Amino acid sequence: MVIVQRKELTFAERLYLPEIFRGLSITFSKFFEKPITRQYPEEPLPTDEVTRGQPRLVVKDDGNIACVSCGMCEIACPAYAITIDGGETDRQIEREPKRFEIDMLRCILCGFCEEACPKDAIFMSNELELADTTRRGLVYDLEKLKRPKSALQPRIDYVYRINKRWRSKQP
Amino acid sequence: MSQPTTPTPSDKPATIKIQVDGREVEADPKQPLIRACHDSGVDVPMYCYHPGLTPVGSCRICQVEVAAAPGQPSRVVAACRTPVSPGMVVQTDTPKAHETRRECLEFLLKNHPLDCPICDKAGECDLQDYSFNEGQGKGRSSEPRRKLEKRKSLGDVIVLDEERCILCSRCVRFFQDVTHKPQLTVSGLGSRSTISTFGDKPLTGNYQGNLADICPVGALTLKPFRFQARVWNLSKSLSTCAECSRGCSITVEALRGKEVKRFRPRFNAQVNQYWMCDTGRFAYAPVTQPLAPAGSALGGRLAGAAVRGYGGLELVEVEPALAEAADILAAHPKPLVLLSPFATQEEARAALELCATLGVAARFVSPAPSALKDDLLNTGDPCPNRRGLTELGLAPVEPAQARVELAQARAALLIGERIQELLEPAELAKLPAELRLVVFDVCAHDLPALDVAVGAPTHVEKSGQWLNIDGHVGVLNVAVPPPAGVGPLERTLRELRAALAPSAATR
Repeated sequence: MVIVQRKELTFAERLYLPEIFRGLSITFSKFFEKPITRQYPEEPLPTDEVTRGQPRLVVKDDGNIACVSCGMCEIACPAYAITIDGGETDRQIEREPKRFEIDMLRCILCGFCEEACPKDAIFMSNELELADTTRRGLVYDLEKLKRPKSALQPRIDYVYRINKRWRSKQP
Repeated sequence: MSQPTTPTPSDKPATIKIQVDGREVEADPKQPLIRACHDSGVDVPMYCYHPGLTPVGSCRICQVEVAAAPGQPSRVVAACRTPVSPGMVVQTDTPKAHETRRECLEFLLKNHPLDCPICDKAGECDLQDYSFNEGQGKGRSSEPRRKLEKRKSLGDVIVLDEERCILCSRCVRFFQDVTHKPQLTVSGLGSRSTISTFGDKPLTGNYQGNLADICPVGALTLKPFRFQARVWNLSKSLSTCAECSRGCSITVEALRGKEVKRFRPRFNAQVNQYWMCDTGRFAYAPVTQPLAPAGSALGGRLAGAAVRGYGGLELVEVEPALAEAADILAAHPKPLVLLSPFATQEEARAALELCATLGVAARFVSPAPSALKDDLLNTGDPCPNRRGLTELGLAPVEPAQARVELAQARAALLIGERIQELLEPAELAKLPAELRLVVFDVCAHDLPALDVAVGAPTHVEKSGQWLNIDGHVGVLNVAVPPPAGVGPLERTLRELRAALAPSAATR
């Protein structure tokens, strides 16, 4: 048990109203300062290439997906969010994903998939918003994950810059 | 292949003593040095050497340091082409041995493409493993890698990627040493050497699939398995091939533990050595059948049970279906009981107990030998457990004879995987509707005579034993879970027996 010793109020404080007005003066002075909060859905947070948002798949300039479904991101994913089934193509690169699913409810946005990818096919985009009315709708498939390379270029350049020790040349 | 032999002390080959990495080990003088190293638990890398093939010493990755006797000068030799001699001192872990292996790997990797992300072999590739252990991180060559054909079809089973090939010639020797019908050769000179068939004809024979297994890199891949799965996502279970009475030891590999993707041979000295035939290798269609559509008993795997109602087969729980089956079998004395040759020993024993309760003799359906018989592995006999069922006292019955007897019977019980296929569903459909037919099979066919069908597991969904033609035990293990509602067949049979004679069934 703790006995709380209340502070003895002074005469000025016991007058009550002066203290009320002193408090309100702080409140009213804030009306004239620059707000530090943000009207979130209308005013989204600014993002840059350092933002580690949701993973997205690169579609190369020739229109083909960069992913070859090697399964490195699948095995690197600590949350088991990624499922890939490969298949054969007629292109020079013989393999491409037939099914590529990221369960965004499982994804913890750690970026291991980006680090593991040997083909520069998956990058953490600056997309942050995630909402749906069903769980199934948050399991993103190939169509929901594909992004043109130009949209991810700032992040690709950034990743090369910070990892230049082992990621030497961009394809 | 060979008859079973139990090794006796006199059979044991005379061994000699050699020293491997400072330990005295026994070595068989008929075997090359690399075998003695492997048998003593020392890992010596190998590409061209395969224990089932003649050694040629073409890849040079197995180089070790050898001295004739302790204190003698040592030199680096290829362990697969060096015979053992008494008192030999072998060192596998010296700087000199590692250096020669590293140099050898650099040559092998000079032209090997860096397409591991695409390659199906990645994860079980010897070149990956030894490069990781012995190789260097960076290539020193500034020359471009050679460009060859990436997708060369060698028949219906095998695709050759010429760029990935390291010319170990295991595939060439496989056809020379195992099937004794040479079909492949190394053609071209120098860096333009490639593996090709004689006259560019497609490969033939029932053993082509083994090439993909013995290829140490991803040069020879199986067409049906191409890009189907990453090998580290395959869960592997020891099992036995079901396609003939040889009962080759296999590994069943299932993608994420659910979908059977591959059957591969597993070394068994007394049954199949390292090999299996393509008939067995690609026989995963029967075990990857989809489930019957929801609400229906037909058109796929039967999950649960079905009984004939007014509107045809109706899905029910297993327990009422077994009660219905017990009613049918009790009401018609001396029902005909036929077992599938795919039944395990355990299932056959449960079926025999059931037959004792019914007072009838059980027989197994034994189709005629197929034309697949060859002098290597395939016996052509499509009954994987013929020997086991015969030893348990079950008599074989031809499908035609079985159908004649079924047409005359008033009630019949068909037990086991694929029994309807062996009796031919089209023929079974001609049976009179008066016949009360009870079937325990993986799926139900649309037969007018069918009254009760209970789902059974396939051979990759159950554990048990088969005896092969020579009496070797083939073990089955659960590789993928059976569909919900399908229990072990032994249990179904015991439950049926308990429903027939509650006092007789003590278990």
